Amino acid sequence: MKNPATLVNSLMLVLLLGATGSLRDALATLLMFTAVIGAYGVSMRPLRLRLTPQSLLLASVILAATLSSCFAILLQRWSLPWQQSVELYIGLIALQCVVLEHNEFFRQALSARLKRCVQFAGLLVLLALLRESIGHGSIGRHLSEHWQGLVLFSAGLPLATITAGGFILLGLLLAACQAWTRPTAPSKESPHP
Amino acid sequence: MNRTASALAILLLAAAGAGLTWFVQHSSAPQIAAEQRLIDSRKLLDVLASDSYDNQPLEQPLPLAAVDLDHSRLLGGYRATRNGQSVAVLLRSQTQGYSGTIELLIAIDPNGRLLGVKTLAQSETPALGGHLGDWPNAWLQRFTGKSRTDPADAGWALKKDQGQFDQMAGATITSRAAIHAIHDALRYFDEHRSILLGSGT
Repeated sequence: MKNPATLVNSLMLVLLLGATGSLRDALATLLMFTAVIGAYGVSMRPLRLRLTPQSLLLASVILAATLSSCFAILLQRWSLPWQQSVELYIGLIALQCVVLEHNEFFRQALSARLKRCVQFAGLLVLLALLRESIGHGSIGRHLSEHWQGLVLFSAGLPLATITAGGFILLGLLLAACQAWTRPTAPSKESPHP
Repeated sequence: MNRTASALAILLLAAAGAGLTWFVQHSSAPQIAAEQRLIDSRKLLDVLASDSYDNQPLEQPLPLAAVDLDHSRLLGGYRATRNGQSVAVLLRSQTQGYSGTIELLIAIDPNGRLLGVKTLAQSETPALGGHLGDWPNAWLQRFTGKSRTDPADAGWALKKDQGQFDQMAGATITSRAAIHAIHDALRYFDEHRSILLGSGT
């Protein structure tokens, strides 16, 4: 791809659509994502100063693979059902580390990196909340064995739980966001009689 | 840093990564396996209250004879006990639904009354017969407390078939199959009561 940011964003799109079927999926993904990216960023810093660019790529692949498998096993040890909801995307999170490294994401200022991560986390959780509440009529099912979740209404709209429904919702959210952040646009046209 | 040193560093990193992953995997494996077993048995046994039995029913399957019933087939049976006394018999029953086989776990108390029914596997139409797979399941809960003789044989059918049970909306065949399988299991229990409950009772 010509624009390297497109690759990062399209990898994010897979997580945004795939891991937002329920709040538990989204939180498990977010937990894995934060842990792996955070540990990767910290442990890659000393290597970046010392290694040649060619071996840096190899090091980043090894490190991403190690960290993602270790965290996956630890999550499995802590709670098997939580690990099962993120199982499919663990490899993708490791790949995301390598792509971000290649994109020089980790060389940006800390505040810019944090801003990106918070935006992504917010969108992930918001989409999961919307999809679960519309699709099942409840929020937080399966979060814990002792809690059935907050029931909003009895029957949900199953479309929201499938990936196509997630895609439509994401599109609507983006449209709403664009409409919200462009309040000055109509005023340009208003002088017309 | 020259190429040799760089290659050496990568090699070290790879060895350390593999070692760390092996160590984490090795130290967590027993706990993960134990949790997997717990989840499996809970999935099967949550039809009973967790404090109503104190044995491991799944580890002692009951020998079943003549498992082909009128409308269904028994795949296995387990006995739950508390302080050595039988508190429930669990029968795994397989029957033919609308679009595939349905597998039910049917819990019966020593007096022949239903304690609960749980769907273990089904491939019915989503949003119609597929509701059979929901847990907890309001439709299946209506059978709790019923026995082979309450209602009588004629009552063990859908209202549509002059019985006394409502059907799941839009899923006559699925509902009929489930009712027949439950009734079969209760009849089997009545006919083999002493073997299923063990000699102690």
